[in-house]
Amino acid sequence: MREALDQWLFVYAAVGVTLVGTLVLVASSLLAMRRAEKRREESRRK
Amino acid sequence: MNAKTDRGLKPKHQRLVLVIVALVALVGAGLLAAYALRNQASYFYVPADIAASPPAPGQAIRLGGMVENGSITTAADGVTVEFVVQDGVARVPVTYAGIVPALFVEGSGVVAEGSMGADGTFVADNLLAKHDENYMPRELEGMSTAELREELQESVAGAGE
Amino acid sequence: MHGFANPARFLRIAKWLTAPLLVSGLLLSFGAVAWGLTQVPPDRLMGDTVRILFVHVPAAWLGMGGWSAIAIASLMELVWRHPLAAIAARAAAVPGAAFTALCLITGSIWGRPTWGTWWVWDGRLTSMLVLLFLYFGYIALSSSLAREGQSSRIAAIFGLVGAINIPIINRSVVWWNSLHQPPSITMGESSIDPVFLWPLLIATLGFSLLFGGVVLTRMRAILADMQAEARLRRKALQAEDIVR
Repeated sequence: MREALDQWLFVYAAVGVTLVGTLVLVASSLLAMRRAEKRREESRRK
Repeated sequence: MNAKTDRGLKPKHQRLVLVIVALVALVGAGLLAAYALRNQASYFYVPADIAASPPAPGQAIRLGGMVENGSITTAADGVTVEFVVQDGVARVPVTYAGIVPALFVEGSGVVAEGSMGADGTFVADNLLAKHDENYMPRELEGMSTAELREELQESVAGAGE
Repeated sequence: MHGFANPARFLRIAKWLTAPLLVSGLLLSFGAVAWGLTQVPPDRLMGDTVRILFVHVPAAWLGMGGWSAIAIASLMELVWRHPLAAIAARAAAVPGAAFTALCLITGSIWGRPTWGTWWVWDGRLTSMLVLLFLYFGYIALSSSLAREGQSSRIAAIFGLVGAINIPIINRSVVWWNSLHQPPSITMGESSIDPVFLWPLLIATLGFSLLFGGVVLTRMRAILADMQAEARLRRKALQAEDIVR
C-alpha cells in the first residue's frame, strides 16, 4: 500500500506560510520605524 | 568615538587578539564536541555498521541505506513488503507491514525504524523515505548529456522550420 | 570602516536605500516563487512538492545568514567599537529568527509528503532548531540590555559564541548520517537541474534583498528611538537647570 497525499496542499501551505510571514515581518518593521521616526520629530519640535 | 586617536589604537589590537584567541578556543571546543558525537549523533546505522557489530535482537534501532534494485516484493496479504537495504558493503533484508511513503522506490534511500529479528531480518515498524541531493524534472530522467544535446538540437531545428 | 560611523550620514544612505531594497526584494522573491509554482516541471521523484524548494532554501540561507551578520557585527562592536555595529546586530535578530522559523515550518511541511514524517531528531533538523532558540535568547538578552540602557557587550559575546552553531548546521549532513539529504550546491557545482536552479537563485536573491531592507528599516527605528530618548533627556536636564 502506497501513501498518496495531495501534494499541492502541502505546496500551498508552505508557500502561504512563507509569504504571509514575510509580509508580516516587512509590515511590522515599517510600522515600528514610522512610529519611532514620528516620535523623534515630536521630540524635536517640543 | 576616539578610535582615530593614537590612544585608541593599542587597546583595539589587544581586543582583536583576545577575540581571535577566544574564537579559536571556541571553534576547537565545538569541533571536539562534534567529533565526540560522531557516532552518537548519527540518525541511523548503515548495513556495514550492522555487519560489523550486530545489535541485539529486539533492540530498537534505525537502519538506513539504499533499497536494492529489484528487491521489493509485496506479500500475498498486500500490506507486507520485503526488500533489501544495502550500502555497497553489506546487505540487510527488511520486512515491513504498513503504508509505505510515496518516495519509497528501488534504488532510492530509506530509513527503517525497528529491530533485528532472530533470523537476521530487520523488522521495521516505520519507514521513512530519504531523498537524495539531485533535483531533476521527470522528462529528463535517465537521459545522458549527449542525448540531451541531441534533443535540444532537434527542438531548435524544429523551431527553425 | 568608520565611514558609516556617523549616524546622520548612515541615515541619509539608509533612507535612500530602504524602499528600493524592500520593493525589489518583494518583486523578485514573490515573482520567483510564482514562477516556481506555475512554470517549473515536477521533480522525477518528489513530484510537485519540489516547489517548496523555492521558499525553504532561501529561508534556511537567511536564517543562517542572519546569525552570521550578528556575529560579524558583534566582532566589529567588540574589537573596533563601531557605534552602529550593535544596532545592526540587534536589527538582524528578529528577521533572522523569522526566517529560521519559516525554514523549520516549510521543511516540516515538505517532510510529511516526501519522507513520510513531520519531524525527526536528526543532526540537521536539531541544529536548526537550536539556532531558533539561540535567536530567542539573543533577542531577549539584547532587548533587555537596551531597555535598561546597559552596554550591549554581553549580547555581542553571545552573538559570537552562538556562531559556532552555523558551521555545525552546515556540516551536519556530511558528518552524521541524517534523514536530510547532503548539500546540492557545493563549491560551484550543483546537482539541481537548471529549471529548478534559476528560480531558486532568483528567489534567494529576492529574499536576501528583502532581508537587507528589513534590517535597514529596523536600524532606522532603533536609531530614531535612541535619538528621541536622548533629546528628551537633554530637555529634561535643561528644564531642571532653568528651575534652579
